[in-house]
Amino acid sequence: MARTAGGLAALAVLAAPWVAPPYHLTLLLPAFAYGIVLLGLNLLFGTTGLLSFGHALFVALGAYTAAALTTGLGVLHLEAILAAAAGAAALVAVPLGLLCVRYVKIYFGMLTLAFGMLFYSFLYKFYTLTGGDEGIRVLRPLLLGRAFGDLGKVEFLIGPFYYYALALLAVATLVMWRVVRSPFGLCLRAIRENPDKAAAVGVSVRRYRFYAFVIAAVFGAVGGALLAVPTGLADPLLAYWTHSGNLVFMLLLGGFDHFLGPLVGALVFILLQDTVMSLTAYWRFVFGAILAVVVIFFPRGLLGLLDPRAGRSA
Amino acid sequence: MSLLQARDVRMFYGTFCALDGVSLSIEAGQFVSIIGPNGAGKTTLVNVLTGLLAPTSGSVRFKGVDVAGLGPGRLARLGMARSFQLVSVFPALTVGETLAVPIVSRRRHGARLFAALAGDRATWDEVAETAALFGLADKLARPARTLPQGDKKLLDVASAFALRPEVILMDEPTSGVSTSDKHAIMETLVGAAARMGIQAIIQVEHDMDIVFGYSDRIVALHQGRVLADATPDAVRADERLIDTVVGRSYSSGAGRPW
Amino acid sequence: MLGGTFHAAVLFLVAAGLQLVFGVQRILNLACGSFYALGAYLGVSAVTWALGAGLPAPLFVVVLIAAGLALAAIGPPVERILRTIYDRDESFQLLLTFALVLMFEDVIRFVWGTAPHQLGSVYLVYGQLRIGGSTVPVYNLVVIAAGGSIALGMGWLLTRTRFGRIVRATAENREMSEALGVDMTRVYRRVFTLGVALGTVGGALVIPATAATSEMGIELIVEAFAVVVIGGLGSMRGAAAGALIVGLLKAGAIAVWPEVEMLAVYVVVIAVLVLRPAGLFARAAA
Repeated sequence: MARTAGGLAALAVLAAPWVAPPYHLTLLLPAFAYGIVLLGLNLLFGTTGLLSFGHALFVALGAYTAAALTTGLGVLHLEAILAAAAGAAALVAVPLGLLCVRYVKIYFGMLTLAFGMLFYSFLYKFYTLTGGDEGIRVLRPLLLGRAFGDLGKVEFLIGPFYYYALALLAVATLVMWRVVRSPFGLCLRAIRENPDKAAAVGVSVRRYRFYAFVIAAVFGAVGGALLAVPTGLADPLLAYWTHSGNLVFMLLLGGFDHFLGPLVGALVFILLQDTVMSLTAYWRFVFGAILAVVVIFFPRGLLGLLDPRAGRSA
Repeated sequence: MSLLQARDVRMFYGTFCALDGVSLSIEAGQFVSIIGPNGAGKTTLVNVLTGLLAPTSGSVRFKGVDVAGLGPGRLARLGMARSFQLVSVFPALTVGETLAVPIVSRRRHGARLFAALAGDRATWDEVAETAALFGLADKLARPARTLPQGDKKLLDVASAFALRPEVILMDEPTSGVSTSDKHAIMETLVGAAARMGIQAIIQVEHDMDIVFGYSDRIVALHQGRVLADATPDAVRADERLIDTVVGRSYSSGAGRPW
Repeated sequence: MLGGTFHAAVLFLVAAGLQLVFGVQRILNLACGSFYALGAYLGVSAVTWALGAGLPAPLFVVVLIAAGLALAAIGPPVERILRTIYDRDESFQLLLTFALVLMFEDVIRFVWGTAPHQLGSVYLVYGQLRIGGSTVPVYNLVVIAAGGSIALGMGWLLTRTRFGRIVRATAENREMSEALGVDMTRVYRRVFTLGVALGTVGGALVIPATAATSEMGIELIVEAFAVVVIGGLGSMRGAAAGALIVGLLKAGAIAVWPEVEMLAVYVVVIAVLVLRPAGLFARAAA
């Protein structure tokens, strides 16, 4: 039953540009981008058990890399941009990760929160470098070398870019699937379940947490770069701690102990946000209430509701 | 050269002396029981022997390598593993997965990010083999938290065994287990050890039946010192020793449950 | 520097509330910033109304404190909500308080709108002093004194009253206290409400010096966390020391290089977490 549902969803997403109105299609784009981000974040949270309240740092990093490359250096190839985003994320995540994985639980959360806000302050204050609160523009990239210059902005986004983003999401999903199902993934889950016992049976707890942190960072930045294309802007708020909080919210919504939880969470959150925002200006209140309800009554998220399995999967 | 050698180990916590000049030498083929009343320093000794604690003075060498501060991972790779008194499991992992973790770490597959674990026949065969030795073969797919306490204990010890160490240190392997199950568990452990190529077993144990039933060497600790290091027969014959360590007279044959 | 101490006094109030709740209930409450903001907004409204109704200007501080204390009434219902996840993993607790932050943000927006609210210069009614080359409003000194006396008051409460002893016992060993017949529900409710009150009063008191803005709650949370980290989780003295350090640091940074004001706090937090993760006075385990 799960397979048919998944298959139908995949079909719907593939066929959407032919049947759905442009507005909704442009909504799906950030959902794809967040899907990639969340796949990474869930490796850290759902699989390894580390809750980061600063992951938006890497999303912002990816967006600003895209901006720096397109606006600053005139590099428009999206492949180059994504690679640069991944590289930038790895560069930042290595020292950050080495530091942060030495701490757990609240301390890890607070440390990541502090780094996230540090980055936000940096983006905000050093406006000569970062554009300050106005941010930096992200220009339309070349997809596989092609400019699609004859297409208007919307046609570009709901046409070639839509499929590009979807393909990227598919690739990211496959890669993460392999990682989660690998011996490394099993070790991460062991670390989540009982770090002391994992160490006792020979798992390098700190080192594997570090790997998970860097992988999550890379996924975050790639998603971030992708996110910045439709909006055309990289701005400091991407690094604000509430954005990090929203990321975790999305994970919880979808179900952090299911592999596809991140994708479901991203989609539902984006659609929900759009719906609620059109109904009331006080969407934060509604979202806060939804989050509270989910945390108290449905901690395993939507997929946890739909899937009657008692134990945790990947 | 002996497998595990402790030389004149002293351990001070501030001014309190937990271990006062303990020397010990473990060879292959031995089953050693460490006994002693509470507070004698048994757990401290085990922690020092496994490198968890660095002794204030003296040294512990495993195969010639100083173990202090090595960490369980490096120690396991050298060939020594340990199981703990309190049962410790991975609650959400299945029995099979729990056993796969030490095997994966032993084979150094932990850093393989993209290999499919499910397809690793060699690892899963070994998982099945190990599970069978511990009587857990029919429970491979069950999450560890759903197991009864005795099985959890077996799983806990099995995961240490799965590291295929040369020396295994067990801290009260039958604690928390009902008396009727104790011997069954010990038989399982000894049998598994033989089949898995474990060369020396060290256990900390309170149950004298178990101690006399399985050890070929007994080390009695009292107030941080080795009071006796001898065969079970020699220890059993020494009434005063028994009295000090166990606190009562123990005559062979008394109180055996089977 | 005195400005730093003023900020520190306010920060101490909030951090003390955070520490209290964490020490006893082991919850790190992200919504403490929201309580702070609520105190600020209500403080502005209350004083503005009171002055308009003929209140003598020097009494405005009483209205501020009263407004803060009145808000403590939201303590019990919020605690009731948090009670549902006491025994769950801390990640869930953090997320629930985050949900509260979102909700409170919009409550404030709903009642007071998005524009900053200010109290104007009524605080100058206390006059100003020249100290060491700079002009300091006496009000600031009043707040510093208030902060100090509340600190002493908390100390007295915790060490000399029955309630205080129960609170400390529960912080040390929850199960034991429960076994000895302490009514956990009531203790938690009271502790939490006290924590809320500290936050709301702090927010109200800071109002004359700054404006009530929609960002203030969120900005404060990070600062309060910095205080808690520097001073150590669960320690009241640590909250005082941490608040002082953060307050002075911020004032110093603004004086030297205005750009790095907020940055400096985060750098310090990170440095402390790295160098002494348990903080300077911590008793609680990580």
